[in-house]
Amino acid sequence: MWSKNRETREGMRHGVRVDLGLRPVGAPSVDDADLSRRNILLSLGIAGVAAAGGAMGLVAYNDEASAAPTTDATSGRAHQWCRVIDLRACKGERKCISSCQKRHGLPPEQTWMRVLSWKDDGKEYFMPVPCQMCENPPCVNVCPVSATFQTAQGVVLVDQDTCIGSRACMAACPYEARYFNWRRPVDTHRMPSPSPSTPEFPANQIGTVGKCVLCADLIPYANELPACVPACPNGVHYIGDFVTDVAVNGRATVKLSTFLRENNAVRFKEELGTNPRTYYILGNGQPLGGPPGGAK
Amino acid sequence: MTTVVESPATSIGRPGLVDAAMRPFGKTSKKFWAAIAFLTVVVAVGVVAWIVQLRQGMGVAGYGDRSFWAIYMADVVAFIGVSYGGAVVSAILLLTGAKWRAPLSRLAEGMALVTVVVGSAFLIPHLGRPDRFLGMVTQPNFASPIFWDFVAITTYTFATAIFFLLPLVPDVAILQAAHPEGLGRARRLLYRVLSRGWVGSAHQRRVLRTAMGITAIVIIPLAVAVHSVLSWAFALVSRPGWHESIWAPYFVIAALYSGVALVVIITAGFRRGYHLQAFITERHFVRLGYIMVALGAAYLYLTFADLLPGAYVGERSVNNMVYATLVGDLAPGFWFVIIAGEIVPLLLIALPQTRKIWGVVTASILVVSAMWLKRVLIVVGTAAYDHLTDTFGAYYRFTWVAIAVTLAGVAAIPLLLMLLFRIVPLLAIDEIQELTATATDPAARPASSPGKASRGRAAGVVGGVMLVMVFLGAIGVDSAPAAAAAPSPATPPAAVAVSAVVSGPQVTVTARVTAGGTPVQDAQVRFFESTEMFAPGDNQIPLGKVVTDRTGTAVLRYQPAVTGPRTVSATYYADVEGEPATASAEIDVTEAVSPYTPAGPRLLAGVGRALVNGLFVAVFLTCVLVIAQVIRVRRACRPGSTPPT
Repeated sequence: MWSKNRETREGMRHGVRVDLGLRPVGAPSVDDADLSRRNILLSLGIAGVAAAGGAMGLVAYNDEASAAPTTDATSGRAHQWCRVIDLRACKGERKCISSCQKRHGLPPEQTWMRVLSWKDDGKEYFMPVPCQMCENPPCVNVCPVSATFQTAQGVVLVDQDTCIGSRACMAACPYEARYFNWRRPVDTHRMPSPSPSTPEFPANQIGTVGKCVLCADLIPYANELPACVPACPNGVHYIGDFVTDVAVNGRATVKLSTFLRENNAVRFKEELGTNPRTYYILGNGQPLGGPPGGAK
Repeated sequence: MTTVVESPATSIGRPGLVDAAMRPFGKTSKKFWAAIAFLTVVVAVGVVAWIVQLRQGMGVAGYGDRSFWAIYMADVVAFIGVSYGGAVVSAILLLTGAKWRAPLSRLAEGMALVTVVVGSAFLIPHLGRPDRFLGMVTQPNFASPIFWDFVAITTYTFATAIFFLLPLVPDVAILQAAHPEGLGRARRLLYRVLSRGWVGSAHQRRVLRTAMGITAIVIIPLAVAVHSVLSWAFALVSRPGWHESIWAPYFVIAALYSGVALVVIITAGFRRGYHLQAFITERHFVRLGYIMVALGAAYLYLTFADLLPGAYVGERSVNNMVYATLVGDLAPGFWFVIIAGEIVPLLLIALPQTRKIWGVVTASILVVSAMWLKRVLIVVGTAAYDHLTDTFGAYYRFTWVAIAVTLAGVAAIPLLLMLLFRIVPLLAIDEIQELTATATDPAARPASSPGKASRGRAAGVVGGVMLVMVFLGAIGVDSAPAAAAAPSPATPPAAVAVSAVVSGPQVTVTARVTAGGTPVQDAQVRFFESTEMFAPGDNQIPLGKVVTDRTGTAVLRYQPAVTGPRTVSATYYADVEGEPATASAEIDVTEAVSPYTPAGPRLLAGVGRALVNGLFVAVFLTCVLVIAQVIRVRRACRPGSTPPT
């Protein structure tokens, strides 16, 4: 499966700013369509290179108008990924973190997701905080070289080969979801390996910023789930798609809009206007972010 | 207006002026070379430290996730900040006609040029990947404050260089005429190029004076812009302590304050080293001291104005920052800055007993070091604040690498200045001569404090703080009790028949539940839709539950989110333990309504683009204006150029 997708990945690399949502929902499964898809992606990659070349001198102003993902919502040709985190089920086992670190070959001190925990009235609470995949990402606005960008499917990624390491995005992120390679990374064992470094499946480099990529190399193509989702023994993590209105946690499938509405899902730091695409389902009485004194 | 037209060779305004200006050119003492050697070693150690950092990563400079910005950012702000001191002494005093600035102007302008170069050089160790620095030019993001830092610093450096070069034209002409033999070949060549055609005619003087005036007018808003944009690298992010509307003027005042102090230190050093006591007197230091006190008072005021609103309103994160600053972890540093960096210098200059050269110089040393510390505190303090958990993480720790690199910058300033003034005269000879010739009493005019041009702040969206209402929703999916009573073993097994009709964007799914041919009433039917998402082929999205009516029929209407073929199914659990009865129907949806709507544009989203275009026009015009001044002076120096009537 992996080697087959390598061309796909190369095509994505060039066409990434053009469109990611290539695969129609009703299209035949991966194996049948592989050949034609490869051609489409190849030509799309070429088109992407041409478009990038033509747009070189144009304004790369990352305001909301251009950052807003364009989608033909009614035809369902694009996906708009999101997360739902069901805090009722979280027991703080941190399996999501370890599976993520294993898949991306991260050093122990670098976690692309944090699990906050605190005790209140004798009860222990947990809250996983990955990149919230903001629809209006402050990190994208402040990057001086446009190394961090938002894909057409709403995933915020970092191009490791462009990042100059200014760390402006780390300053701008209200969710502390960005991490820097402060030291020369040890030989990484990304899974599966070997594979080329793309923004969707980046290899660590010294002096650049890394973050949760929502396993963007997996979800649109192979219909696989991000590493953290099936890793959770309690089904806390859901990956969802606004357009097709579906979310799964590896065992259950739900209708996303109904699920969010019926469970009074909320978003973290709503007041900052970042429009995060990560929803939290409360329900055991905890506030988002921890108790007023600050979580430990 | 002065109309002095003299042959430069004969007019030596003050005895020994030309000699004094040329003193650094002569045979150098052992002390000079010892100083150069020492400073070079310090710079070299810094470069080695930087190479170590390049090879091992920024971790060796003490950086970490809770100190993602630290000492180098503070260095950038502090060093570029002091550059503005050169601009204030030179440009503002020039525009306000404060003639006493003449002996200081060359030193101040040289300092402005050298410090802005050293300050922007600190951006190199600040970056994780300096090898990709050109990305700022090849793929810039015009929405980024960091990009505009780069633009502002570049423009300001260019204008500062021109401001330094223009008044050199008459000076090097005088030196060339007075002591052609004492200059040496290299200087003679350079001077000939610089002062080509300069004869000191009234027309040439008038053109030069206007050109200097216009460049000075350009320098002041440019310097304000540099420090404002530097502050916006902080203020445009949502971190407590940085996200402050007062930040831009606060940075500008801090830059002026520390800059004037550095002018004092540099002036004192060169005055002593090159015996310029005849030209630079105690009066100059006292006046610079007065300017410094005025700026220091403004800085104190802004510090209070910055802290009060944060302390008064109980917003948690801002409160925590204020607490840490005033009584918490950052308090020792903060109060050191307030006392040693602001109150003590103020007293040293206010009291007549200490209002001497040594007093002003001591005050200046305190100010420069305290203001550097202040920049470290504001960078390190807020960066350490984890605004997920509202606690302070591990603070930045200084390492030998970071200190060595910073000391290299400190040493580079006197080193570059000493070398610079071996090439060009360190006194503005022509300007001093002019003063002496017109017999203007330099002390007649009081020192005027610099007028501050207030600048409109970039239009941004002010995020009002809203209270997030957290609903504690109904817990869990409702688990309705099984509606149908368990059928007796004699009851025939239930069966479900499904039909689905697609009409436009709506799908009507009808399920009929029967048991042995008779309709089952009050049976709870679960409807599903198949999806290709996440698990191809067998992923079922629950659509809802409907209870059958008297005819055993349950009807569900829904709007599909996507088009395409799929199956819809109905399931009925007749028995909690048994197998369910299921049936499905194929449909092909041609019209779909996705519940997804992208977030609307933010308020004033279009303003950003207009602002970017406006800024580019402003930068372009600024550069054109500065270049035009150079061209004007050059044209006035062309042989045979006649004064306009």
